[in-house]
Amino acid sequence: MKFDPRTKLIMVFSFSTLAVFVIDIYLLLVVLLISIIVSNYFKEDWDFLKRAKKYITLLMGIVLIQSIFSPAGEILLSINKITILTTGGLAKGIRVILRMLIIIISATIMKGSSPREIIQALIQWKVPYEIAFMVSLSIRFIPILGEEAKDAFTAIQLRGIEIDKLSLGKRFKIYSYMFMPVLSGVIHRAKELSTSLEARAFRAYPDRTSYIKLELSKKDYLIMLASLLFTVLIFGIYIIMG
Amino acid sequence: MKEAYRANEAFIEIEDLAFSYKRSPVILNNVNISFYKSEITAIIGPNGSGKTTLGKLMSGILSSDQGSVFLEGTNIKGITLGNIGKKVGYLFQQPERQLFNPTVKEEIGFAHLFMGEPKDKVEKKVSKIIEELSLQGLENSSPYQISRGERQRVALAAILINEPSFLILDEPTTGLDMVRKEKLSEILKRFQQQNIGMVIISHDKSFIKSNADRIVEVSGGEVNEV
Repeated sequence: MKFDPRTKLIMVFSFSTLAVFVIDIYLLLVVLLISIIVSNYFKEDWDFLKRAKKYITLLMGIVLIQSIFSPAGEILLSINKITILTTGGLAKGIRVILRMLIIIISATIMKGSSPREIIQALIQWKVPYEIAFMVSLSIRFIPILGEEAKDAFTAIQLRGIEIDKLSLGKRFKIYSYMFMPVLSGVIHRAKELSTSLEARAFRAYPDRTSYIKLELSKKDYLIMLASLLFTVLIFGIYIIMG
Repeated sequence: MKEAYRANEAFIEIEDLAFSYKRSPVILNNVNISFYKSEITAIIGPNGSGKTTLGKLMSGILSSDQGSVFLEGTNIKGITLGNIGKKVGYLFQQPERQLFNPTVKEEIGFAHLFMGEPKDKVEKKVSKIIEELSLQGLENSSPYQISRGERQRVALAAILINEPSFLILDEPTTGLDMVRKEKLSEILKRFQQQNIGMVIISHDKSFIKSNADRIVEVSGGEVNEV
């Protein structure tokens, strides 16, 4: 079943708003579960989760750092009088991970819509065309940036650097080197793009006509309403729980 | 591991290789070919035929769906990219993707310094390579603010500091004028004299004609000798 991109945007907006504002772990879990079900309904592939396996150490690191720098509650683990893990710190770490997961998973809902449809959705919401175009450009360039970062990472290793044998500190340092080619690529691309936009008379006329026209159907209105009700419901429970 | 590698044997050997990108038709199918240190092999073929893909498979950047790539007799899947890089140098089509430092000098010595080699030893190697690739005067320039030809030589220099036995050069003549192409030819000939094997992926017929000992064509998923 095909949904209007505006409906999907409302859903993403609802989930991510809840992820940001709700603090309760159980409610965050409910939001995560619902976002997984919705994303699964849109039959988005879950390949990114397989790739995300590589970042488990990073996620664990986030939990640990949160726990060390914001200790609260009972001490669960301490080494030489330094508190490593506390119940409060652990809860904060889990919260961060849940929020990240909700935002990432809910964003996959948009994957089925083409960048052109997303621009059109924003324009029909009276977002200025320039802003809508910028949003679509950023969506279109994310995979290219990913590809460039991957190439840079490969190129670093092909210099004879064995990442697996590096200490954690050196490993982070090597990642920082990757910024140079990726950043240079972004600047170069932005320069080329701005020139070609000028050459094609971007914003030459105040008004634009559009070939595509999006129409909201009954099911779109229903889903939008359901998303808003879900957001209000979770917020209501959160406020009642104090 | 196959039988022990001997110098006169293929440096890179490809057996029954097949490869396709995600959600795309098969790009290479049943490829069987060997590359030797003693020769310069050119890989030609139309756009999108899989030339760069073949180069990336040969250097372990990509993994094959079927078949194997052997580097000095060892299956490449069992070797880390770091170890491959010590033997095979790969020059990307866009050299700026393999430049990571603010100055040319730092760029060339970066990997060795990073791996903890003494500074004076690295500096000696860097000076030698700078001279060899005619990069004098650019030592303190940014690799991003020099000409394309110079940038490519910097990327090559950064590869050569590892003293690789084999080079894979992807479209090395793109954007180079005649003078710079000739300069590149001279450099490649010197590499060959130093017993460095090479694969050049290119569309540039005249460059291939004057530099390659052997030409193979990638077309319709197959790789054939020309």
